[in-house]
Amino acid sequence: MNTRDMIDMALRNLLKRKIRTILTILGVVIGTASIVVMVSIGIGMNKGFAQQLESWGSLQVINVYPSGGMVYDEASDSMKQEKKQDELNTKAVDTFRQMEHVEAVSPVIEEYMYLTAGKYVADASIMGIEPGAMEALGYKVEEGRALSAEDSKAIVVGGGVEFYDPKLSWEMRYTSEPPQVDVLNEKISITYDWNYGTRNADKSIKPIKVDAVGKLSAEGSDSWRVIMPIKELEKLQKARQEWEQKKYGSNNSSNRNQSKEYQQVLVKVDEMDNVQSVQQQIKDLGFRASSLTDELEAMKETTKMLRLVLGAIGAVSMVVAAISITNTMVMAIYERTKEIGIMKVIGASLKDIKGLFLTEAAFIGFSGGVIGIVVSFGISFIVNLVAARQGSTMQSAIPLWLALGGVVFATGVGILSGYLPAKRAMKLSALTAIKTE
Amino acid sequence: MEENIIRIRDVKKIYQMGSESIRAIDGVSLNIRQGEVCCLFGKSGSGKSTLLNLIAGLEKPTEGKILFHKKHIERMDEDQLANFRRQYVGFVFQSYNLLPTLTALENVTLPLIFKGVPVKERNERAMEMLKAVGLEERAKHKPFEMSGGQQQRVSIARAFVNEPPVVFADEPTGNLDTKTTYEMMDLITGMAKKNHQTLVIVTHDLELAEYADRIVVLQDGKIEKIQKKLRGKGEGIYE
Ligand SMILES: Nc1ncnc2c1ncn2[C@@H]1O[C@H](COP(=O)(O)OP(=O)(O)OP(=O)(O)O)[C@@H](O)[C@H]1O
Ligand SMILES: [Mg+2]
Repeated sequence: MNTRDMIDMALRNLLKRKIRTILTILGVVIGTASIVVMVSIGIGMNKGFAQQLESWGSLQVINVYPSGGMVYDEASDSMKQEKKQDELNTKAVDTFRQMEHVEAVSPVIEEYMYLTAGKYVADASIMGIEPGAMEALGYKVEEGRALSAEDSKAIVVGGGVEFYDPKLSWEMRYTSEPPQVDVLNEKISITYDWNYGTRNADKSIKPIKVDAVGKLSAEGSDSWRVIMPIKELEKLQKARQEWEQKKYGSNNSSNRNQSKEYQQVLVKVDEMDNVQSVQQQIKDLGFRASSLTDELEAMKETTKMLRLVLGAIGAVSMVVAAISITNTMVMAIYERTKEIGIMKVIGASLKDIKGLFLTEAAFIGFSGGVIGIVVSFGISFIVNLVAARQGSTMQSAIPLWLALGGVVFATGVGILSGYLPAKRAMKLSALTAIKTE
Repeated sequence: MEENIIRIRDVKKIYQMGSESIRAIDGVSLNIRQGEVCCLFGKSGSGKSTLLNLIAGLEKPTEGKILFHKKHIERMDEDQLANFRRQYVGFVFQSYNLLPTLTALENVTLPLIFKGVPVKERNERAMEMLKAVGLEERAKHKPFEMSGGQQQRVSIARAFVNEPPVVFADEPTGNLDTKTTYEMMDLITGMAKKNHQTLVIVTHDLELAEYADRIVVLQDGKIEKIQKKLRGKGEGIYE
């Protein structure tokens, strides 16, 4: 008996008992939908975490720090001086760049200086990075543009950077309305003179004119940052050191950059799933590395139990559906005993008989699965709608693998549930079967 | 001399009913020849159906051998038996045994479906068979829309569609009136003779036994006598 005839015959048998078939399929629909929706909420939860973390920075970026700091040692329950391994210098940066899955690498230096706009100033934590890597590193520019490789005296200003009048007293600064400074169109300069704009201003310090080309979001960890090309910031750094040397003598000068070791390097990885492996490679080279995916892993770990419980709830309804398929098939065999006998006598092989019943069961599973997935998408949509209206971060997401997996699973459950009844049909004695009325 | 297609040797079938054992077939040996119409005749309970079922491989003998050509039917497993029936055997039953949900045509194609014959070919062959039994305009009808005689014609078409070397019929006319009975017997023996097929037919009606080349008379599970037909049909003279 060929496959087409088998499917044809199985479908006819199912259609003959429409109501029963529909009810059985309904069971599978409920089973599939509950598993898929429960799993989708679990997935949505993780996606929610990821989105939440995204607002803190890119999940694809690894922060690399030099080793040799103080680290917590579990064995002795105390802080320990970590063994210094390798310098986080330009050579290390090049090594990172060669790694697989790495898209962009940028060393980071940070300086606290003033931004000036006319008579106003703003405290700024200025980050120097490779300007060409800015976009790749995941900075979200809200207005204007990100820095590009050609930029030199250009900056991108965080939306949270606030200007004030340096002539005002401290209390006044906090109580008065901050002045509206449109950084993108205003003439902006950078200075390391903390007395800029006041009577004590140091005339020997020339503010460096820069062009503000973009603005970062006012939310998230980068909101109060100013980003500029690392080369320019290094020049400023040097100028300040020389000025400090002149003013306070050589002993006081910062020796931070003497060794040319970076305090931080950012590594952008092509995909989130590769972050942990790249991070491990960097650690193996003897650097310290961390990323937001660490947090994500931790969050996933804490909700694992909850997701398991959700999955189990879905699984229970699938078990009920499986039992109902078995029941339907057993009933079908009782009703069709004589028919099975006739088919056997006129030449159906055991494989044909088994195949017929398995095909019927598989079809119940399959169609229940397909409808179940459609229903799941509907439920998922409603869950997200309600959650969004209530401002909850809970959401449901059905990726393709879950949808396909759901259908495959339901079909598998169908075949499994049909297996025993099919075996039973196969074993019926043709003669006794044909004698039944 | 025709070749023996089926050879039965010292076959016994004993049903154990609690402490009582019923000897349904009690030491039967018989040769059935290629192309003959062989009638199993006897009173009710004499073991006709049991013997037929044993030969057809629907039941296993308690003792003895049943050979189809050189194959031991009694040694076949379920799969081999299914294969044997699919290839070599056709059945006609007293109660027609059509599948109630299938049309006449579909019922006739069923053995061909199990054999894996392509749709077009099997529909053509089934249609020819329906024509041969005079039911072509009933092809699309379901069994419950047909009379008993018509249903039995469909079942005869089904038994012969595959052109099996052997056709078994257990009281094929048991539910039919006299006129229809003769029509059916003419049809069934005519078909068998035309293609030189062997027909093993069970009946307790001596009138019908006239259609047979040989009559095997059973009594209490044993062969009482075997009568050979000497002259043409209707003269009823047996050795
Ligand atoms: N499955 C069975 N279990 C027990 N006894 C059986 C079984 N099948 C048949 N018998 C017994 O075997 C004997 C022969 O039965 P069988 O059906 O072969 O008779 P038959 O000649 O076909 O009769 P009929 O003309 O009434 O159909 C009977 O006594 C019957 O009771
Ligand atoms: Mg009988």
